[in-house]
Amino acid sequence: MDITLVVALVIALALFFDFTNGFHDTANAMATPIATGALKPKVAVAIAAVLNLVGAFLSTEVAKTISGGLIREGEQGIQITPVMIFAGLIGAIVWNMVTWFLGLPSSSSHALFGGLIGATIVGAGFGAIDGAVLLSKIVLPAFLAPVIAGVVAFTATKIALVLTRKSDTSQGGFRYGQIFTSSLVSLAHGTNDAQKTMGVITLTLVAAGFQSSGTGPEFWVIVVCALAIALGTYMGGWRIIRTLGTRITDVSPPQGFAAEASTTATILASSHLGFALSTTQVASGSVIGAGLGKDRRAVRWRVAGRIAIAWLITLPAAGLVAALAELIARIGPVGIAIDAAIGVAVIVTIFVRSRRSVVAHHNVTDSDAVPDDASALEPKKAGTP
Amino acid sequence: MIDWTAFVTVAAASLLSACLLVALYALGVRLLTSTGDLLPRTRRLAGVACFVLCGALVLFGIYLIVPALHGG
Repeated sequence: MDITLVVALVIALALFFDFTNGFHDTANAMATPIATGALKPKVAVAIAAVLNLVGAFLSTEVAKTISGGLIREGEQGIQITPVMIFAGLIGAIVWNMVTWFLGLPSSSSHALFGGLIGATIVGAGFGAIDGAVLLSKIVLPAFLAPVIAGVVAFTATKIALVLTRKSDTSQGGFRYGQIFTSSLVSLAHGTNDAQKTMGVITLTLVAAGFQSSGTGPEFWVIVVCALAIALGTYMGGWRIIRTLGTRITDVSPPQGFAAEASTTATILASSHLGFALSTTQVASGSVIGAGLGKDRRAVRWRVAGRIAIAWLITLPAAGLVAALAELIARIGPVGIAIDAAIGVAVIVTIFVRSRRSVVAHHNVTDSDAVPDDASALEPKKAGTP
Repeated sequence: MIDWTAFVTVAAASLLSACLLVALYALGVRLLTSTGDLLPRTRRLAGVACFVLCGALVLFGIYLIVPALHGG
């Protein structure tokens, strides 16, 4: 198959991944302000979209290796081919779609890394993966991120409630604060996440020989990545917003403010003091901490447990899908076409299934308008909207 | 293998900054929440001062986010 065609396919897939990354992560910033009524749902996603768009242009500091050292790239290691990236992206996208459908806030970065790892293992063997880096950069932080954020949010919620003596009149005051804290989370997200896709596209262009190695992303790459993540963010990912905002615990304005302040502080500290943490895991930990800070019985551990399981299997699941995609792609051009067809079919199927129980801005904070996520997998009776 | 010093630094910095922001904001809300009567001048000033400090913290957050501002 013509290399230009493969590169074009990879770019299209990378932009679609960027789009899923956007709607998957809107909840990190906007679930709590929507849940407390600090922002109207549509206003919230619009703010988040604009800040993600702006954020994508603020930072061009793209990581040298998109995998952060997970895959032994470069002269000593293996050569990542555009086809491996293609298979990795299919794994990442499919897993992002599945977790979105189930309303689970899982890390898009882990899905991307998992996909690339899975494709690389099939393409170049287990030796291409650095297990120690995998453990120290992905597995352990996945346990630590929610714990740090949870403890911080727990303490901050206690402080907020003690200082305002839980008085009802002060509740509204926290809503204004939420607008600022949630906007900060959105902006920080924009400067980080769109860059991953810029990195993927740039790596592909370099691998295909369209761009000399060691150069940063082309301006058009920055523009399209910024637009894709902003558009995705504006789509809302309402299922995940519902889980994070109303399913884990019932969030009041002081709790929401404390949770967002904790998310912002933890994300900024982690990105500036050299210990990378996943935004999604931090945001989820903050919500749990804020719930515990008000009432120990207020957290629905069944929901939290399902989210934790999703985190654990995100990387291997995306990796498995990508490994299968890579296996098929190795057949040749026909394999790539089969991959693309299956990928599109899965995306369309999930989207069609999601229309049976629509979660959107109008019902995102209703607790019982739509069946719970678990039942969403079961076939519905005909005629169910 | 895992950088525990960095981890503890991140945890401490997160805890301190988040709690400081929330404490200042909560105090500001408390001081400026009217109980029906007119607020005393000092109380109003103290409340506004709390929010100004919160604003400064938010600006510091933006400073950290935007690489162009800190030469990153």
